[in-house]
Amino acid sequence: MGCAEVNNVSSSSLRLNMVWRIAARDLLSTLRDRRTLAATILMPLILIPALALGLPLLLGNFIGGQQQQRQTVGVVGTLPLQLRAALERDETADGKIVRAGVTLIPVTDPRQAVQSGDVDAAIQAPAPLPTRAGEKTAAMEVYAKLSSLRAQAGAYGKVQDVVDSYNRTLTLDRLKGLGLGADTLTPVTVKPIDASPPQEQRSGQLAFLIPFLMLQFILSGGMATAIDATAGEKERGTLESLLVSPVRRAEVVTGKLLATTITALLSACFSVLGFIVSGLVATLFLVGRSGLGADVTASMGGQLTLTPGGTLGMLGLAASAALIISAILIAIGIYARSFKEAQTYIAPLTFVIVLPAVMLQFADFLTLNTAVYAVPLFGAMVSILNIVKGAAEPLQILLAILANVIGASLVSLLALRSFGREEVIFRN
Amino acid sequence: MTHTPHPQTMLDIQNVTKTYGKFTALKGVSLSAPEGEVFGLLGPNGAGKTTLLRILATLLRPTSGTAALDGYDILRQPEDVRRNVGVVNGGMGLPARLTGREVLRSFAGLYGMNRTQTEARIAELDERLELGRTLDVRAGDYSTGMKQKVVIARAVIQDPPVLILDEAASGLDIFARRTLLDFVLATRAPGRLTLYSTHVMSEAEEVCDRVAILHEGGLLTVGRIPDILSQTGQANLERAFFSLVRGDGVRGGEQRVI
Repeated sequence: MGCAEVNNVSSSSLRLNMVWRIAARDLLSTLRDRRTLAATILMPLILIPALALGLPLLLGNFIGGQQQQRQTVGVVGTLPLQLRAALERDETADGKIVRAGVTLIPVTDPRQAVQSGDVDAAIQAPAPLPTRAGEKTAAMEVYAKLSSLRAQAGAYGKVQDVVDSYNRTLTLDRLKGLGLGADTLTPVTVKPIDASPPQEQRSGQLAFLIPFLMLQFILSGGMATAIDATAGEKERGTLESLLVSPVRRAEVVTGKLLATTITALLSACFSVLGFIVSGLVATLFLVGRSGLGADVTASMGGQLTLTPGGTLGMLGLAASAALIISAILIAIGIYARSFKEAQTYIAPLTFVIVLPAVMLQFADFLTLNTAVYAVPLFGAMVSILNIVKGAAEPLQILLAILANVIGASLVSLLALRSFGREEVIFRN
Repeated sequence: MTHTPHPQTMLDIQNVTKTYGKFTALKGVSLSAPEGEVFGLLGPNGAGKTTLLRILATLLRPTSGTAALDGYDILRQPEDVRRNVGVVNGGMGLPARLTGREVLRSFAGLYGMNRTQTEARIAELDERLELGRTLDVRAGDYSTGMKQKVVIARAVIQDPPVLILDEAASGLDIFARRTLLDFVLATRAPGRLTLYSTHVMSEAEEVCDRVAILHEGGLLTVGRIPDILSQTGQANLERAFFSLVRGDGVRGGEQRVI
């Protein structure tokens, strides 16, 4: 088929009432689809608090829980009594166990004991182990599944901590005999002071997930409407009936773009709402909590909150990202013969969002100049991350929004051209 | 071309050709039809009927030639053509999650009808097409017959003077088909023209005043059905069609107006 253009494509002036009628029709159809509603509203409201708050809380509780649980450690050989007592002893504060000791049991094959799960870690102690500093040093083998976070936070970590403490005690005893104090070991000490803004401290190590999740929800929120309004209409035979009405192609494209953007934006709003809910719940959960679990929760972003200005900037970025993503979805969707074919074409778009989002993990290593904010979508991701960390510059946010809007305009023109081509409209 | 209200000639096709790459779907077709007719467009699948009707509906652009419907030129006044034409084809569907009434209201809005006009027209079409409870059921739950009735109602919501029906009875049960054919017969009125495309000759015999027979993109003949039967010496339109295609009735398949 040739590249003939359908009649009246050149009539591109827009009648807003027609645009709204097209959009309203697509929106009504979308709002009656339970699966789309779930993807647009429920998923951001559930998944974002789950990831932004639940994951840090889970990690905090897990690591804190391992500290408070008593693990079993196998022993081959003889441990000095002082070391043995330190390993078995519980550490308490205010009458509560903050770090439980371990239960020591004799084993014959430490590797096999760990692998079989009979013990969480196993110690192979050469005889004799030093009981005072200055004696011949000895290497104590500690068997554990070292790639396991559970072992690191539990038995293995505790053995390592207790042995470090044992070494320090022996060294201090020896220094005391020589008339020297503990500060002899640390003539110079380092006192770290976090100079990052309070919001960046609260954003935690999982902050890079936030722009990824927001854009992912914008994509999934707009996807159903865009495909239904383009390839879906072709497949049902409803596009042709729309095109024989006195509505202009530009109005059809703009109406469908509006409907898709509204749905995508709705999803983005609910994802921002998800973050706000996370912040509120975090405040309730973390107030009065202390200990290692709470520290881990905080370091992972469990204290994340947004300022009103940040929320506004986030909404602007989300709206412009929704616009460009919707334009891309409409431009791709109209090429497909069917809903399924459109899904196949659109699926790789997820990678376009995932890959830059993964790079945001290493944003600290990147030198981000202003030009980065002029890259559609990526500039918005970086800006959202900056807002989360409280380091956003209004001009950078505006540049990212402008880049998205210009990108959306160009892609919309491409979509309009596609709607005017016979071989695209009648491809099915 | 200027618009003359209710012209005597409502369809005027002038030497329309349509090619897709090296394939020629329509070969210089010229036709005309006056108001008050149900005009049949007959031919087997691939004859070029749908291409011609899509050109008339301004969905496709002719490679050469032009046409006018109700006085409006399809190339220069496509929006006016679309405002005055209702189109139904066998492949048209409805948005599955909207009710028939919502679809009709939505399209009435596109034609600039106000609420009172819309509700009055829906009530009229409800009576004529026996829509009944179909109107308030979501289209996803429709049978083929129910769907096609609402598609027809959607196509004529603005009461267009020209109606294009392309294989509109395809797949309909006997009741829905009867309703459709009665509806088509009722459109035979001054100031109106219905183009009825089908490959079922018996349908054409029942509803069409005149027919044009297309074959492989070319026009074989145009005329009143009794005249075509008389000229080909056949008892029915189907036999006349085969006679024309084989060249028994008309020499070499060249176009002939009877």
